[in-house]
Amino acid sequence: MPRHDPDTVSAVLTRGRLGIPAVVFFVVAAAAPLTAVAGGATTGYAVTGVLGIPLAYLVVAAVLALFAVGYVAMSRRIVNAGAFYTYVTRGLGRPAGVAAAIVALVAYNSMQIGLYGVFGAVLSGLLNDRFGMNTTRWLCAVIACAVIAVLGLLRIDLNGRVLAVLLVAECVIALVYDAVMVARPVNDLGVSFDTLAPGNLIGPGIGAALVTGIAGFVGFEGTTVFAEETKDPKRTVPRATYIAVAVTALLYGLSAWAMSVATGPDQIVAAAQTEGTDLIFNLVSPHLTSSLVTLGRWLFITSLFAALLSFHHTVARYAFALGRERVLPSVLGRTSRRTGAPKAGSILQTALAVAVLTGYVLADADPIVHLFFWLTSLGALGVLILMTATSVAVLSYFARIAHRDGMWRTAVAPFLSALALGAILVVTVEQFDALLGVEPTSPLRWVFPASYAVAAATGLAWAFTLRAARPDVYQTIGLGADSATAPLRTPDPVRQPV
Amino acid sequence: MHPHLEPTPARHRQARGSGPDRPALLADEFFLIAHDDQTGRPRLHQSAISHGLAAALLGELAAAGRISFDRGHIYVLDHRTPADPLQHLILDRLVGEPQHTATRTWLSYLAATAHEEVARRLWQAGKVEPQQQRKVLRTVTVHVPTDMNVAAWSWARLSTKLRQYEELDAFDLALAGIAASCRLDQFILDGAPYAVGAHLRRLLAAAPQPMRELLADLDTAIGHTVLSHRT
Repeated sequence: MPRHDPDTVSAVLTRGRLGIPAVVFFVVAAAAPLTAVAGGATTGYAVTGVLGIPLAYLVVAAVLALFAVGYVAMSRRIVNAGAFYTYVTRGLGRPAGVAAAIVALVAYNSMQIGLYGVFGAVLSGLLNDRFGMNTTRWLCAVIACAVIAVLGLLRIDLNGRVLAVLLVAECVIALVYDAVMVARPVNDLGVSFDTLAPGNLIGPGIGAALVTGIAGFVGFEGTTVFAEETKDPKRTVPRATYIAVAVTALLYGLSAWAMSVATGPDQIVAAAQTEGTDLIFNLVSPHLTSSLVTLGRWLFITSLFAALLSFHHTVARYAFALGRERVLPSVLGRTSRRTGAPKAGSILQTALAVAVLTGYVLADADPIVHLFFWLTSLGALGVLILMTATSVAVLSYFARIAHRDGMWRTAVAPFLSALALGAILVVTVEQFDALLGVEPTSPLRWVFPASYAVAAATGLAWAFTLRAARPDVYQTIGLGADSATAPLRTPDPVRQPV
Repeated sequence: MHPHLEPTPARHRQARGSGPDRPALLADEFFLIAHDDQTGRPRLHQSAISHGLAAALLGELAAAGRISFDRGHIYVLDHRTPADPLQHLILDRLVGEPQHTATRTWLSYLAATAHEEVARRLWQAGKVEPQQQRKVLRTVTVHVPTDMNVAAWSWARLSTKLRQYEELDAFDLALAGIAASCRLDQFILDGAPYAVGAHLRRLLAAAPQPMRELLADLDTAIGHTVLSHRT
């Protein structure tokens, strides 16, 4: 329809929409760069013993960029995308959609709860060292959990500007550390590029290294959720997605490599095992003023906190969307009267976190390896499954509709990304013992991946139950907030004018 | 098309009970329910109030027979100018921008200014008085009701009728529907047996089609504000 001028309605609705930088800040904040650099990369070295971590980040980024091609192409056609779950529903049908939703709930909960482990360890370490306090890791984790619970219920998100400042500071400090580490190679042996050699990725740890890489990027898929709030979704969403992947990939790859330069490639695994998340700070502290090192530690903590809050809201919103559809109990689809927070979903997430944390405290497990690394790896495995399913869903979706989008976007790239992600998935599951750092005979290597099989099977069974028992609910699967209109009409989500 | 929401005159019937005269405007009544009847402080979060008010303003035009709702879109039935200046303004905008017909679009558009405009209308009618109140970091304007009995009348009426399992007329049904979409039913039905809530849901399920259309779009709009909330 021709655009009439002056179009006051569009002018009012487009006020305050997000541009590319804002979307990039929001999603990269969820990925928490300093968390991946100081926590993910070092723990990845330590647990998997693989030298190819820097390369893994770059390889994963390439695969994710390929994945993003079809993903953003689909986001142009599906309004109000609830992310993976909506896409899988539209591409592969409602039962697959419910299965994806349950997998997503498990995956994002694991990511979130796993981060409490590293948060508690890092915060208590800093408080004890710097301020002579005598806190324990678990106490700090539980306090963080309480704060997140309150913020979730009050529906407080970190302000966009605050996130931007923190994020830029994180990136700058990571780059400064990288420069220091590369400028001061161990024993003045010169800068070594050994960890970037492709050979490091072939071998028993490749799956583990790649999934560590994916864990660092989780959150980037959020760009499409912002489509409705951007100035120009067709342009903003794809660019923000590619920029987010590229920026984080370069930062992760560079930092992981710089650490190996500073320790020497042959020593990086041993150093990561002994020093853990302190490694990067210990490597730079002889060459920098202590305030810069302390600043880095604080930014590590704020970055973790931003990620914790972001994943908490993600889970609460997922539960809210499913509650609105009545796929999960409709109480999850209610909001708090005073704050508008998805209250039940938020409480549920906190309750789950408290239960898991309690279990870990009772078992006296290690917060970094057993909580942080295991659970975020589990989360990354879930996101990997979701991305693989989404690639197939994109293929299937475009195969069934009339469109004039090019073959590359709608068929070739999704096909290649499904192949690549599927291959990563297979080696990851095969080598899950290496990822967890347990014996190949340990039942844990099967328990973790099997949890997703159970989640998906539960989702499928529930979808078929709904189809038989509550066809009205079955019809609304994948509609999220738009499900309210389903009893009246075929819901046709409205793209707000831009 | 035939407007299903009752036209204006029907709403002037004096309700039973000894309350003050019923205000004739849906958005005014929703505004009064959504704020405390003594202090004027909001009972709901801001986006629910503004979307609820937007729906109530559209409901006023529908009740006046000017527009109707069908399958997610607004249809202008009658271009004649409504007596109320705010309704007049909105109808002019609806007529003037025919490229936008989606109810959701209009809800979002009206939500941007609804609070301010309805507050002004209530102030002009002498029902609220704006007051500056200092909060921790900012000053907020609170619209304090001039007469607590007037302000409390709408929710007291709805609450009583629902608790007695009475039928609601179209005006009260629309008001209760908008309140329920905004979760204000928790407040109106506080302490009532679950059966009362079920009674309200039954009444809303049997509401005229255009009203159900409007309420479904309001639910969707509020759901989206939850899913896309950023600060």
